[in-house]
Amino acid sequence: MLLRLATALVLYAAAALAAPTEEFTFDKAQAFLKTYCHNCHKTSVGGFDLNVVATPGTLRTAPVKWNRAALRTRNGEMPPKGSPAPSVDARVEFAGWVEHSLRQEACAEGIVPGPAPIRRLNRDEYSATIRDMLDIHMDFGATLPVDGAGGEGFDNAAETLFLSPLHSEKYLEAAKFVMDFAAKEYKSRQKIFVAYPGKGVTADQAARRIVESFLPRAFRRPVTEAEIAPYLALYQLARKQGNDFEPAILFALRGALVSPNFLFLSVPPQSGTGAKPLESYALASRISYFLWGSLPDEFLTDLAAAGKLHEPAVLRYLVERMLRNDRSLVFAQRFTEQWLGTRDLRGDKAPDAKLFPAYATDEELRGDIRFQPILFFRELLTQNLSLLNFIESKGTIATSNLSKHFGEKLPVRANASKQPQWVELPEGSTRGGLLGMPAVLAVSSHPYRTSPVLRGAWVLDTILGTPPPPPPPNVPALEEPHAGAAPKTLRDRLLQHRANPVCASCHEKIDPLGFALENYDVIGRWRTEDGGKAIDNSGEFPDGTKFQGPTELKAALMQRKDLFVRHLTAKMLGYALGRGLTLKDSCTVDAIAQKVKDNDYKARTLIEEIVLSVPFRYQMARPQQTQREQTNRD
Amino acid sequence: MTKPLTRRTILRGAGVALGLPWLEAAAATTPRHPVRLAALYMPNGVNVSAWTPQGKGRDWQLSPTLQPLASLKDKITVMSNLWNANSKGGDGHYVKEAAILTCATIKKTPGADIANATSVDQMAAQRVANLTPLPSLELGVTPVAIGVDAVVGYTRIYGSHIAWSNPTTPLAREINPRSVYERLFRASSGPHGNAAKMDALLLDRVLGDAKRLRTQVGSEDRIRLDEYLSVMRSLEERVQRASATNKTPWKPRVAIDPKTAPTDQPVDHAEHVRLMLDMIALAFQSDTTRVSTFMFGNAVSNVSFRFLPGVSAGHHDVSHHQNDADKLRQYQIINQWHIEQYAYLLKKLDSMKEGESTVLDNSMVLFASALSDGNKHDPHRLPLVLGGCGGGRIDSGQHLVYSDDAPMANLYVSMLEAFGAPVERFADSTGPLQGLLKGA
Repeated sequence: MLLRLATALVLYAAAALAAPTEEFTFDKAQAFLKTYCHNCHKTSVGGFDLNVVATPGTLRTAPVKWNRAALRTRNGEMPPKGSPAPSVDARVEFAGWVEHSLRQEACAEGIVPGPAPIRRLNRDEYSATIRDMLDIHMDFGATLPVDGAGGEGFDNAAETLFLSPLHSEKYLEAAKFVMDFAAKEYKSRQKIFVAYPGKGVTADQAARRIVESFLPRAFRRPVTEAEIAPYLALYQLARKQGNDFEPAILFALRGALVSPNFLFLSVPPQSGTGAKPLESYALASRISYFLWGSLPDEFLTDLAAAGKLHEPAVLRYLVERMLRNDRSLVFAQRFTEQWLGTRDLRGDKAPDAKLFPAYATDEELRGDIRFQPILFFRELLTQNLSLLNFIESKGTIATSNLSKHFGEKLPVRANASKQPQWVELPEGSTRGGLLGMPAVLAVSSHPYRTSPVLRGAWVLDTILGTPPPPPPPNVPALEEPHAGAAPKTLRDRLLQHRANPVCASCHEKIDPLGFALENYDVIGRWRTEDGGKAIDNSGEFPDGTKFQGPTELKAALMQRKDLFVRHLTAKMLGYALGRGLTLKDSCTVDAIAQKVKDNDYKARTLIEEIVLSVPFRYQMARPQQTQREQTNRD
Repeated sequence: MTKPLTRRTILRGAGVALGLPWLEAAAATTPRHPVRLAALYMPNGVNVSAWTPQGKGRDWQLSPTLQPLASLKDKITVMSNLWNANSKGGDGHYVKEAAILTCATIKKTPGADIANATSVDQMAAQRVANLTPLPSLELGVTPVAIGVDAVVGYTRIYGSHIAWSNPTTPLAREINPRSVYERLFRASSGPHGNAAKMDALLLDRVLGDAKRLRTQVGSEDRIRLDEYLSVMRSLEERVQRASATNKTPWKPRVAIDPKTAPTDQPVDHAEHVRLMLDMIALAFQSDTTRVSTFMFGNAVSNVSFRFLPGVSAGHHDVSHHQNDADKLRQYQIINQWHIEQYAYLLKKLDSMKEGESTVLDNSMVLFASALSDGNKHDPHRLPLVLGGCGGGRIDSGQHLVYSDDAPMANLYVSMLEAFGAPVERFADSTGPLQGLLKGA
């Protein structure tokens, strides 16, 4: 039965399958296009002409056109209303074939580095960088606007880190605030005032030494004389205005904190052709902002200076060392919360306070719930456990509070029961993996009640990376009772709506996943009845496959573990690179996912292989640069 | 539609627009009281049956949802049947909401090649940027929605921003009332004299450093650095103006009292909204800025309105009412609550005297949603109210009813005209909005 459930999941997951369904071929794709698209697109209509995708070679020469055709078909935007339309399964099959074929074509040329765009430090990175650079523990980024997200869904994506006039003001103010604050802190002063005017040292000499020591840290690389000059000039300007030595220094360093060399991470272009290793300091920053969300420490900088950073053994060692460091908690938190969407628990998705006072009034419990998935991931990393624990696990992170919340007797250490800790789960526990975690169960619910639709879609999107197509336009959301004849239970209502064949084609694949989780209420407590009625946690797929409860659901997901690992790999690579992935990156994702699989799905393998990957360590050289450099030299 | 401009062209353009020297620009203004422009955006559409007023022209009655505006009936204009054609396709929300002030079709993307158009508020702001300490004020109550909506394929950035300074740059919003207050206070009171002069020197040197970096990066990266240079340069210009102590022509029309700063931790959604609207009023009254936008929530906002008696669900859920009587009733309660907040701002502006007139008389405060019936994701017959008289230009007190295909963009043409930043066309506009402006 489980195998059959897994097959049913595949139906939906087809678009992201590593292997195409056997029967689908290029000719079939052409037949599909002929049947559903030819009528309009036999010539260019809406910028799409079937002739541009008519031969197998076009998969290489016109990937953008193919991709768009697949997406629009999959999402039901095409063919337009009124034209003969393919079934959802046929759409998904076609789109899955296109995606797979494009990937194969893209990989034919081998793995390439992809773009390495300049990117602004986001709010969290700004705070952490200031903190580590000056040894002051205060959230200086708190006044900056919240950053949005793009690419693979993270707030460190270069393409969506915009700058508004608001930013310029806040950066200028924050720099002043930071330096004023640092001037009063003993530890920060040690970091700044590496020299002082005195015997044998003029004020100008001291100023130069200070700037020379500060700028390389702020800019995360050695600096040239030309780069030092404007900041020394600022010091001189301040002196001329009648400022003493110290305020003049603080003024100059304020300037450095507003400089794009500080605010942005950039990879200097290289001339020549093909892939070239990143310049060492850029690589040091890349690793450090990936795993610590902050600037490289001295150890990392020294390795970069010694030219040793590109050695695979060094990188492997670094990954282990950096993950063990407390600073990697930030990485676990930022990645996990954005991947799972649990950040929204502090926003729109917060469970309703009146309905769930147990959650709303207990700050400690809320903290435990929020940090459970984060610390769970961190445990996988530091203990180098299997990533499949995300789907099903024999242990979890717990506290005495969580144990009570779960209604399960968990072996929490008596002397530190409030501390989140890894515990072994008893036989028959319902708390293994992500799907047993209240944070996940809450964020995939409405604030006031559970929703099998939302939870089903959450599993498809977040775990498998195969989001369901959007509902067709102008079809109202499911779940709400029709006026007059409102059936009693949510399940009845959903079943009633599935009577509509348009809705049914998708919802019969989404909803059962969510029904399997109905034993968990909005805040993840276990329940066997709801509003006096027994919970029915059974599901049935269109082919008649029946299943029940979270354990069978997780077993089914385990059958699709490679799909899950591939999705997680893509997310992690996007986060590590700080940009959206391109078609060509999918070859890297495939290669890393394979290595993770070969190494028993070990969590650290994922991180190591990403750090060792071509897109992470290399950049494309620019031939045109050579010419310009040539001109410059002449 | 014309081909969208490239980011580079736009930045160059913005540089020109902002480059007008302060004194010269200030001398060019003549009206006695400045005209202000604000837009308040409500997510998720309206219960149409309780929204549309009866009657038209000057002979009309407020609908149930618009009742909170009763005492202001002479100073508002309700517009019916306008629509936003370019926001028709795509998905149910992002396409509509990102385009509420731009009337453009946004590009479907998870982020790499984001594209919209310059929003109407920014067209206005760019025209008067040199006249006030802040070019515009972007406010909200919920942080930017994080992530990419994988189901429909749009970055949530689209659903979190209505103000766009150019087609590729959404403007960051502030959500903390205290921090807005402090910003307004600082902007309206200084830093003057030496501190500002030092800031200007600092920015000058940093800009030099930035230009050097610009020559060292690849062409793609230069676009980002141009964005940096553009915002830093305009900040430098503003700081320079503030440092010219005895020549500064700008003075707050009403000084901001530093002792009345609001809390930075509002107790609930309702208080939070009010405090942010207070900031718009304060900014307009003091003339710290003349342009502002406010978002009651992000696209697809599901803020719980259970704090309102009779409401049991989240905003977005209720908007999918499926014609269920109870859902429609709740939907209407939520709509009306938003109108109450809007009325609160209008009344506040109307209580602020400006010579013979009030700040409201000299303002245009638009209330808009990007959908009519949220159940249908429909950008036809949009719910639109314009509060204030635009310095006497708006023929207020009317219910203006248009034919079904009249573009909302026409409203923006007329608003820009009244603001003193006339344009020939705005997106799909076909001319000014008939009957809105006096003598037009």
